[in-house]
Amino acid sequence: MIFINLISLFLLFYLKKNPGPTPLPEEIQKLFKWGMITAGVLIALGISNLPPQILYELISFVLVGAIIYLILNTPELEVQKNMAITPLPILGVQLLKYVVKTISVSTYENIENYLDAAGFFALIWAVTMWLNHRKQMKEIEIERIISKEQERQLRATAEQKNQLEVLVAERTSEILQQKEELQEALNHLKDTQEQLIQQEKLASLGQLTAGIAHEIKNPLNFVNNFSELSVDFIEEIEDEMTKIADCPEKENILELLEDVKSNLGKIRHHGSRADSIVKSMLLHSRGGTGTKEPTDLNGLIREYANLAFHGMRANPNPINVDIQLKLEEQLAKINLNSEDFSRVILNLVKNAFDAMREKIVKEGGEYKAKVEIRTQDLGDKVLIEVEDNGPGVPDDIRDKLLMPFFTTKKGTEGTGLGLSITHDIIQSHEGTLEIESKVGEFTRFSIVLPKSNP
Amino acid sequence: MKILIVDDEQDVEIMFLQKFRREIKSKLLEVEFAFSGEQALEMLGRFGSPDVVYVFSDINMPGMSGLELLENIKTKFPHIQVSMISAYGDRENYNKAIKSGAKGFFTKPVDFESLKNEIAELLTNK
Repeated sequence: MIFINLISLFLLFYLKKNPGPTPLPEEIQKLFKWGMITAGVLIALGISNLPPQILYELISFVLVGAIIYLILNTPELEVQKNMAITPLPILGVQLLKYVVKTISVSTYENIENYLDAAGFFALIWAVTMWLNHRKQMKEIEIERIISKEQERQLRATAEQKNQLEVLVAERTSEILQQKEELQEALNHLKDTQEQLIQQEKLASLGQLTAGIAHEIKNPLNFVNNFSELSVDFIEEIEDEMTKIADCPEKENILELLEDVKSNLGKIRHHGSRADSIVKSMLLHSRGGTGTKEPTDLNGLIREYANLAFHGMRANPNPINVDIQLKLEEQLAKINLNSEDFSRVILNLVKNAFDAMREKIVKEGGEYKAKVEIRTQDLGDKVLIEVEDNGPGVPDDIRDKLLMPFFTTKKGTEGTGLGLSITHDIIQSHEGTLEIESKVGEFTRFSIVLPKSNP
Repeated sequence: MKILIVDDEQDVEIMFLQKFRREIKSKLLEVEFAFSGEQALEMLGRFGSPDVVYVFSDINMPGMSGLELLENIKTKFPHIQVSMISAYGDRENYNKAIKSGAKGFFTKPVDFESLKNEIAELLTNK
């Protein structure tokens, strides 16, 4: 009967070593342990032949039965079911032997040979079953390994996919950013191109203007000179007329002469208006003829802002203006054609006055006109700003401001050349002029000059 | 006293004649006209230098410019006074003219008062 307990021990040992794909719960492992100890003890007892034969065999059967029951009823051991079936024939034969022996020894002795043969076949069957079972288990194991490997590969692929996705996202955002940068650069280029075209237009308009002025100047001089001369002659005639005796004809002649004289005066007056326009136009061609010398810019600004103010006060329609100078002290001397550049300051300040005068007329007492002139050291450049709180410049005319003959002033008030010449002068100093404005709030002219323009 | 006006604009002649009508009438002043630098030199050679004492010349003329004429006169007839008249009072021309020996530099439109004074000065010095 030791054999049955060996089977028990073997079963438990095998199950413990090859639990199958799912790990066993702790209680079952505990049961295995105790089962193995019991089987061990029973084997030892069997060898010692101590306990009574019947009891010993009964206990052995109970143990192996319990083990088989456990295998069949534990879900984790589903794959090992064959292991429970394997020893069944052997156990059946042994049980039969035991039962027959217990009931009648003589019968047992009669059929012992048959029982031994059955035991032998049962053993062969068990061995076959067991080998078969092992083969199955191996296959299951291989399948398990394959599926595990597949799973691992799947996981690796998924991970790779994630990494790729992250990379793609990174690249996409990079490309998007580059696209934005390019777009910005393109916009910048477009702006620059527009500015260049604008500058080119202004420059050619300036040259055209100067060219026209050259051609007009001489004939205009004749108009002015001859009208002046004629006035002199009429005065002489009038002198001579005093020597002639009065008569109605003489009166008529004198009246006519007076009219002609007044007409000549008109010709002279409008001729000189045209002459001052022509002179302004000629300034367009003067760029670069003057000499540049290191100049105290702040001093120049103070002087000409003051001059513009007093000029404005002395002329018709003076206005009250608060002029604030916020000049950067310690500003190094700057290479300037001071004669030209003083014109820039004069023009900008005068423009501010004219604009604010309009606003005063429109808005009345509440509005306080203010001009602020600032200088600022920008390292190798210097910034000059002239800002007024006048009516502002609408966007649609801002580009036109610098064109020759563009004016918003009525009638004979402006020639439309002031800002155009201002722009020319700043350009001849290698500087830039920018106009910022908000309608109804302010207009700001910003000039940036290099400190060492040639 | 004879003066020579050089200008490519023909109407300048009428203008001067009118302007100095009294002086010319009273024979105080004799005015000649040339309409180019070349013509002016030719006339100066014909009249002889003692006759003409003063030349007023425009600068911008086709052919010989006023400044070239000035240099020619100064080498051939050094005792003749020359003043320049220019439409453009630019520094460059002014400097050149004065350097080449011009007595005065007038800008157009000509201020006839200062021109008259200049000539009156000549008349009194004579």
